[in-house]
Amino acid sequence: MKKTLINYEKIIGPVAISKLRQVARDLKGASVVHVNSTREGGGVAEILFWMIPLMKELGLDALWEVIEGNAEYFNTTKTFHNGLQGNDVILTDRMIRAYEDTVAGNAERLRPILQDADFVVIHDPQPAFLHELCPDKRGQWIWRCHIDASRPNRAVWNYLRSKVNNFNASIFSMPDFAHKLDHPQFIIAPSIDPLSDKNIELSDKEIKDTLQNFNIDPNRPILCQISRFDRFKDPIGVIKAFNLLNGAFNAQLVLAGGGATDDPEGAAVLEEVNQAANGNKNIHILMLPPDSHRVINALQRASTIVIQKSLQEGFGLTVTEAMWKCKPVIGGNTGGIRLQVHNHHTGFLVDTPEGAALRIRKLLYQPDVISKIGQTAKEFVQENYLCNRHLREYLTLMLGLRKGLANHLIAG
Amino acid sequence: MSEYNDMGFKVKDCSLITRMAGVKEAMNLRELEERLRVCPDECLFHHFCETVIRPTFDYPDYTNDFALWAGSQLRDKILAERLSVLNPYKCKSVDELRQQVLDILEERLSETDHILWAPKNRAFQFLQAVTVVFETDIKLNRPYDFYEQLPNMSHGSIYYHFIEARRRTKWMVDDFTAWLSEFELEVKPLIKTLSEIDFYFLTLAELKNTLVAVTTEFFKEAKHEKNIN
Repeated sequence: MKKTLINYEKIIGPVAISKLRQVARDLKGASVVHVNSTREGGGVAEILFWMIPLMKELGLDALWEVIEGNAEYFNTTKTFHNGLQGNDVILTDRMIRAYEDTVAGNAERLRPILQDADFVVIHDPQPAFLHELCPDKRGQWIWRCHIDASRPNRAVWNYLRSKVNNFNASIFSMPDFAHKLDHPQFIIAPSIDPLSDKNIELSDKEIKDTLQNFNIDPNRPILCQISRFDRFKDPIGVIKAFNLLNGAFNAQLVLAGGGATDDPEGAAVLEEVNQAANGNKNIHILMLPPDSHRVINALQRASTIVIQKSLQEGFGLTVTEAMWKCKPVIGGNTGGIRLQVHNHHTGFLVDTPEGAALRIRKLLYQPDVISKIGQTAKEFVQENYLCNRHLREYLTLMLGLRKGLANHLIAG
Repeated sequence: MSEYNDMGFKVKDCSLITRMAGVKEAMNLRELEERLRVCPDECLFHHFCETVIRPTFDYPDYTNDFALWAGSQLRDKILAERLSVLNPYKCKSVDELRQQVLDILEERLSETDHILWAPKNRAFQFLQAVTVVFETDIKLNRPYDFYEQLPNMSHGSIYYHFIEARRRTKWMVDDFTAWLSEFELEVKPLIKTLSEIDFYFLTLAELKNTLVAVTTEFFKEAKHEKNIN
């Protein structure tokens, strides 16, 4: 469905749209350039996919640019990503050179647009070096960190800090993820787009057909985790939890992972997951192409319970998506999942496979609780984690940077 | 003629945008005390007064973030209770509030023989917020409009006009009271009732329900007696 304010108004209401218009009034005509490292796959691309057209409709001159790189560049940025999340990684001079050379190559193409923009939003570490490469910038530069960087590898953080410290502001998804930097650091949780293929209402037929395509039984309980095949998402822990059910309720487990072009580790983790599943016919492991949004939507809607047993998580948009579809979520007690999953209200937070198995059993035994929690979960997302709130906060931040960060900011 | 009666009372809505307060996180009670001495006024205000407008489900066992952290992370219920009973709106200034908090923390530090620590990844993060103010379509011209429109006001409007106003206005009164005060004497009982609401210990939903209840009651009685509009 087209990303227009009128289409969103049907879901979020006229008051929410009015707030967007008010806060955008003083930003009319401002040029905003978002830069990330992939157009497909991953939460950042999904956010920009709706944010750009809405910013344009509100009168801003919004652009989305993507860093182009080779395998060595993406291996390095994956090291940054893992290092920021606290993994023990080795960052070599060669990797840094590959990173800087690639960004410098992109800078030749992007420099005129970036230096002329009123606001530049750099998403995650991949394009961060651009700041140094645009000496004649006239606008405000904002670094948006989508990663849980609460306990980063020091070498990685020290390098990245030198690249982002001179921005005008930064945005983190949670206070725990923020780091001391020499500029204001804002806390803005991400959100989902209710009109995206991943979240829009689907017909029963489409959901049924999807299950049939993957040989999943629509008449048995479906437990589902949707996420990249990444060790931080703990797919092995999910299989352990499923095995602890010992066949109870005749449930099925679906582990479906979308790949992203900037994630070279996915294949190795997928292999580990296949080994852990050990040929169990009740475990469906699906490697989905990056454009499988409607398939993911159908799998989430068909699920009885959605699991997101991450060991570390930025925000966990798959949790938000599941809640929007009235599903209780059993989530890892980490990162942004803690903001969304509230015990007995929207799902359960767990720390172990055993904890996940316990909560799954409890919920499967009480179908009325599943529907009650699911309804509350949807309302919670409607109120707090849809794209209108997210966009409003971006615009407010830009307005604040332009007008000065006082205690009060009058929109419009 | 006042600003309100010239133009009517234009009801506003608001939301917060949160930022780090520039103070290092606190992992234990001693660090909390040290950071509280130097944190900005806005930070203290945020953790005491803006907690009601944040998205959460947990019923507030404790009324401010410091008490909540002391109770849930330091697992010090004595400290949590002492901090929780502090009502920031009874303080004449942020300095007075800060001093009261520091007194409680120092007292607690002197009572304990070891420093209490929060678990890993559960440090206290010092925040502050910018209040973003929006226009709404609601306008009040006479006291009866207040009764009619209260159910249509968002929690953001209730927070902005009934709670946040006390920080903003010279006399530390809420906007509704300031506006109603400019009308005839007949609304004085309503003003008195509003002033008696112990709002600091209510959620915004509870506060809205309370405002609707007392206003409904007042206009029901007033209609019987003098037909106030």
